[in-house]
Amino acid sequence: MALLEIINTVLENRGKSTVLELENNQSLRNDIGFDSLDLAELTVRIEAEYDIDIFEDGIVNTIGEVKNRLKINE
Amino acid sequence: MIFYIDRLHSQEISYTRLIEDLRSAKFFNNCSLKTNYYDLFFTIILSLILDEEIILLDDDLTHEETLRLVDEMDNCRSLTSDELFLLSKIDNIDQLESLIYQLKKNWRITLFTSGTTGVPKKIAHTFETITRSVKKSEKHKSVVWGFAYNPTHMAGIQVFFQAFLNRNTIVRLFKLNRVSILEEIAIHNITHISATPTFYRLLLPVEETVCTSVRSLTSGGEKFDAKTFQSLCQLFPNAKITNVYASTEAGAVFASSGDSFLIKPEFLELVKIENDELFLHHTLVGQSDSLTISESGWYATGDIVEVLDQEPLRIRFLSRKNEMINVGGYKVNPGEVEEAIRLIDGIDDAIVYGKKNSLLGNIVCADVIRSNDGLTELEIRSHLQNRLQEFKVPRIVKFVSTFELTRTGKTKRK
Repeated sequence: MALLEIINTVLENRGKSTVLELENNQSLRNDIGFDSLDLAELTVRIEAEYDIDIFEDGIVNTIGEVKNRLKINE
Repeated sequence: MIFYIDRLHSQEISYTRLIEDLRSAKFFNNCSLKTNYYDLFFTIILSLILDEEIILLDDDLTHEETLRLVDEMDNCRSLTSDELFLLSKIDNIDQLESLIYQLKKNWRITLFTSGTTGVPKKIAHTFETITRSVKKSEKHKSVVWGFAYNPTHMAGIQVFFQAFLNRNTIVRLFKLNRVSILEEIAIHNITHISATPTFYRLLLPVEETVCTSVRSLTSGGEKFDAKTFQSLCQLFPNAKITNVYASTEAGAVFASSGDSFLIKPEFLELVKIENDELFLHHTLVGQSDSLTISESGWYATGDIVEVLDQEPLRIRFLSRKNEMINVGGYKVNPGEVEEAIRLIDGIDDAIVYGKKNSLLGNIVCADVIRSNDGLTELEIRSHLQNRLQEFKVPRIVKFVSTFELTRTGKTKRK
């Protein structure tokens, strides 16, 4: 599952509106609209898919930082 | 002198304005959901003056949850002429304070905490138990509090009393985003913050901004990992970081600077450890029908501890005896969530458990056996959103055909 799909799953689960595309400078909290519960769910879903805990080495704030942790370039 | 600052509601309320509002109060409502924290603090102060019970409900409770907790909502009444007279006599903060400290016959504050059975339990505190940990001195007068807890929970109430009884300024940080929090700390020169580890974790990573005004940082609920602790020392270079052991039942009991707790001599007689479990003397605990106090007067906390030193007594918290899931400092009772899931059409059974999470400590997960194969995770979640507070709703729902059983034949939470 691609990162965009995972993020939209989390948004849908909370009844929030989904996003069409991701940009590296988007903030997970301010632009995507995640709260701490959403961020925690995101980590679990990403870990299930990529086997990487994105928060293990501290908080990530932007889409670009998430991609860095996952070493992907979508 | 400023009493309360709230950027979400564009409020900056002085102690003078608080007194004016008290003088012009016409009604008292002992039980209502309040989204404006000033209204909530105001009502608590009013209840103290009137010497009447106040019941605190979370502002995000669903209608259904509320009805299970209290019989009557919006118990609003007009103030009597005697009460109006009493209020009209308050001219300054000294008079207000003397009224607050007057003997309380009826006043108590009732909070709700996740019970061990399905229904949250009611805990009532007297003025003495709720203000037991309040420290009052000249030194505390210059404090500016960053208010980072839910004001209807024990920790929030304790910060409120600590601040109010020292006539400090309270700046709301709870539910603000990271950028706003860092701005508020700088603008108002916040000196003291008490919050859950999750609150602090969400302020990281450390960027250009460093919060030099903060002198004291308190945390409780779950443990910090070493990495978070290090980053916090960078973000708050002048702060002393303290860990507090506290619960809704007992309030703050002891504090530590690392992960071990030194029991102060005045508490020695009121604390005991049996079979690795911590017991508190009933005089430290609030009143509740649902709390079991043994005949000899001890309350079993359910916290499993390790004794590091006997004299002086030093302990470390290891785990919880029951299965409460700690989600960023909020306790979730898996039994309550399971009960709510089982009520959904098309579901046979459910097991709710916590899964370790680097951000919140734990997140709530559910394994579900469904009789209707068409039922989706999204549908289950939207059902639950109407029944439960958001932090209790499982973030991951897995459909299974059977549950693992324990040796005694009980279903096993992971």
